Amino acid sequence: MSDAPLLEVDDLRVEFTTDDGIVTAVDGISFTVEDHEVLGVVGESGSGKTVTALAILGLLPKKTTVTGSAKWRGRELIGLGDKELQPLRGEEIAIVFQDALASFNPVFTIGSQIGEAIEVHHEIASKDRDERVVELLDLVGIPNPRQRADQYPHEFSGGMRQRAMIAMALANDPALLIADEPTTALDVTLQAQVLEVLERIQARTRSSIMLITHDLGVVAGIADRIAVMYAGRHIETGPVDQIFYEPRHPYTLGLLASLPRLDRKTHGQKLYRITGQPPSLIERPPGCTFHPRCEFARLPEPCATVVPALEEVDPSHRAACHFSEGLVGLTPERLREGQRA
Amino acid sequence: MTSITSESTVSPRVGSPVLEVDRLVKDYPIRAGLLRREVGRVSAVADISFSVHKGKTLSLVGESGCGKTTTGRCILRLIEPTSGEVRFAGTDVMKASGKELRALRRSMQIVYQDPYASLNPRLTVGSILADPLKVHGRWHDGGSERICRLLERVGLDPKHVNRYPHEFSGGQRQRIGIARALTLDPDLIVLDEPVSALDVSIRAGVVNLLEELQVELDLAYVFIAHDLGVVRHVSDEVAVMYLGKIVEIGPSDAVYDHASHPYTQALLSAVPVPDPKVERERRRILLEGDVPSPVDPPSGCRFRTRCWKAQQICAEEEPALIDRGQGHPVACHFADEALPVS
Repeated sequence: MSDAPLLEVDDLRVEFTTDDGIVTAVDGISFTVEDHEVLGVVGESGSGKTVTALAILGLLPKKTTVTGSAKWRGRELIGLGDKELQPLRGEEIAIVFQDALASFNPVFTIGSQIGEAIEVHHEIASKDRDERVVELLDLVGIPNPRQRADQYPHEFSGGMRQRAMIAMALANDPALLIADEPTTALDVTLQAQVLEVLERIQARTRSSIMLITHDLGVVAGIADRIAVMYAGRHIETGPVDQIFYEPRHPYTLGLLASLPRLDRKTHGQKLYRITGQPPSLIERPPGCTFHPRCEFARLPEPCATVVPALEEVDPSHRAACHFSEGLVGLTPERLREGQRA
Repeated sequence: MTSITSESTVSPRVGSPVLEVDRLVKDYPIRAGLLRREVGRVSAVADISFSVHKGKTLSLVGESGCGKTTTGRCILRLIEPTSGEVRFAGTDVMKASGKELRALRRSMQIVYQDPYASLNPRLTVGSILADPLKVHGRWHDGGSERICRLLERVGLDPKHVNRYPHEFSGGQRQRIGIARALTLDPDLIVLDEPVSALDVSIRAGVVNLLEELQVELDLAYVFIAHDLGVVRHVSDEVAVMYLGKIVEIGPSDAVYDHASHPYTQALLSAVPVPDPKVERERRRILLEGDVPSPVDPPSGCRFRTRCWKAQQICAEEEPALIDRGQGHPVACHFADEALPVS
């Protein structure tokens, strides 16, 4: 086996043609996922997190324009047809979606659907298949897995359905599990259960996980590295501690500063606020897409004219900001105090 | 209208509460068969009491189905409660009718969670805000000018008064919803998940706006939310609900720093904190199983089926919501302060 990373994405670009114009959902992003690592992809709705995942797996509508490269163990995926991608999907790269109720077929039992996911890729005796299904349900912490396998999706609660979804994704021991907002539809105690399952399977199977979420709290405990997305671009990537404690992009910094935390007494104080709103993906601001909302921007040059490259600011820590140098030493706490003063 | 200033200091006020909820119960009948006979009851809100003071925020927290939204709607009598009393500035909301009820409706308003569903798409922002004024006969008293001032106050351009809701972003729509709630000078606003549907970078602005308005207009808020970080930030008092019951209630810092009900402890421990070092150190309390059905709630303490402290007495006797030495009321036979939040 080569030294190539598990997944290597280079200058990936995704465009949708709509009646209102061309929507650039992903605007030239490059990143890697290494063996055994958990990559947290953080961004708001419309930032391109989900589209990135779908593009890698070739799951976008045919009309979509996808350019750039995504190499799986050195092999190019972009441009491959369904026939070539099918052996990969579920077998090597598996995906879990946000809405588990919509992802299961209501007229088949949970067990038969997980079993099917195995049979698509492997010839297996029905007895062994059923055993494997029970083992998978047990792995994700579903009580009485043998009885539960014979039940239908509607007989499962929301949290259990999401865990069953994860069990199905794990059916063929994929090397990469993409989890797209797996806990967003769940209550917080159920979210904790699902996150615990992800942590447990990661420790046990050593598969890589790409965890897509809008919630910085969700990735804080589980991710090794974070990629922050804004308007279709990676604006900051790096090890989790550096992203949270030494962010070097104003958006990351602002996002962290704006979160009220349950372990802080901030009642009566003003929250830090990022002004404005996320840009339209049809008429993107020129230069840095964040400049209309950025309190550090120098206008018009260079922020409104030159797109900042995602450049190394520290070993393995990259930020796409013309003035990331100037953010050294500026923590979310200090930013918060600054706006209040 | 109360004068709009940019003062940002909180002035605590003591006195009688503006809102008192006393032993509120809401059951829904389950009907079946040809004659639609009642075969059971869903207990959505089961005997809860609390009060809110002028200029203060009480938050109702808990997971889906715990009854927090039903409680909010019962307060406004958008849902008729099965029993119990709601008093607004001393007036019995449940018995009010005619003129009295109209006056109450002016004083108590609501902001809904979904800014996409709660604004009529066929009406301009101007008419959305004018309607309450017209219904309550205040339009001729400088109505249009008032609308412009309100729009400005919630951070929108008064020039956009003739635009339709779809021309605004989610955050802006929620500001329209807030402006609508303010048109009739209310004293109390029920905020039902006002920021949950908004993007993270938009939330802080709306939370700040709500807090500024509270100080300027001396508003009382009933804040319904599941984001426990936001709740801590905005609340003076917090009531934690589980399956229709309040299990713990008290000043915000007391509930967060000295959580004493096992459910509150589990809930707080489950919230991920955006701080990797804290997250790696924290121990989550994982609850077993799911919330039981409100059609057939467990006997005694409703939380006992998922509680690691449950004993015989928990099935036999419902724990009263009283102070057991924690400094605030907790409904648990074995209430005990444990692990601080972080």
